[in-house]
Amino acid sequence: MSFPNKGDRDKCWTARDRYWECLDLNLEERERCLKQRQVYESSCPAQWVKHFDRKRTYLKFKDRIEKEGYEPLSEEKS
Amino acid sequence: MSSFLTKLNRVLCSRNIVISSIKKDDLCLVRSKSFSTGTGSNTGKGKGPVTWKSVGITACIGGGLLMYMQYLKAAKEQKILRERQRALGKASIGGHFELTDHNKKKRKSDEFLGQWILIYFGFTHCPDVCPDELEKIVQVVNKLDQDSSVPKIQPIFITVDPVRDTPEVVGQYIKEFSPKLIGLTGNVEEVEKVCRAYRVYFSAGPRDRDDDYIVDHTIITYLVNPDGQFVDYYGQTKKVDEICDSILINIAKYGQLQSSWF
Repeated sequence: MSFPNKGDRDKCWTARDRYWECLDLNLEERERCLKQRQVYESSCPAQWVKHFDRKRTYLKFKDRIEKEGYEPLSEEKS
Repeated sequence: MSSFLTKLNRVLCSRNIVISSIKKDDLCLVRSKSFSTGTGSNTGKGKGPVTWKSVGITACIGGGLLMYMQYLKAAKEQKILRERQRALGKASIGGHFELTDHNKKKRKSDEFLGQWILIYFGFTHCPDVCPDELEKIVQVVNKLDQDSSVPKIQPIFITVDPVRDTPEVVGQYIKEFSPKLIGLTGNVEEVEKVCRAYRVYFSAGPRDRDDDYIVDHTIITYLVNPDGQFVDYYGQTKKVDEICDSILINIAKYGQLQSSWF
């Protein structure tokens, strides 16, 4: 099985970015980005979709921690 | 009374003369002595105790001493550098490897001795990180290649997915980034060995219906010096300019240690 070449990668990344943009605009409501999701899934290998979905979740989580902060564990203990 | 005074005056005057004459004689003696130390045949006309010859000798000795001091200083600085390197300890990263390049040629790590190399571990089915990192390495190498005074840096890609990444596949992959890249692969054992040497973790994820999988691996670029020793590493967050600067510093440091006097 051949690897996704430069063209394939660019196509996939663009589709992913479109889908992510849509999620940003629609406050993570997946139902409103089904069209973009479909293009994204057809442009990227299934493993990549899984990888990027996890990455998105992670990035969102990181963003939230950085912006809103977190509750320190020590407070819970005491 | 007046006659007494004139007598006294006369005596004092005569004493004065005597003292001054002695002084004059002494001076003459000193002068003749200094002349006698000069060259025998030379009468010393118009010459003082400082001759061109003595100036030359002094300059030679002084210059020699100065050079010796400089040498001692340089030697001490080198010793400190070496000592520091020893004290910090060399990371036991890197080592010998035997792999196959993208032209199906066997390549040993010893072949890269004498040149600076940048090694990145990745795999061709990599979703985003590997292409970004390879792109970055190529940019670094291209930037440093613009300066002819900087030694050539050889970028190397080593796969952590030997099952799928055959020499042909690796060849196709690296061509997309730069003709300067050398792609290396091997059998599972060989790849495991080089990864262990460079402390690279890699683990193939579960396979999906298409038999596709993603390999989780350490994202680090290694800088290896012409002696085949690991000197520095660059993570994902390092930018092109930062890596370039670090490489230049390492090259300068290496040159300092190599340069020996005489």
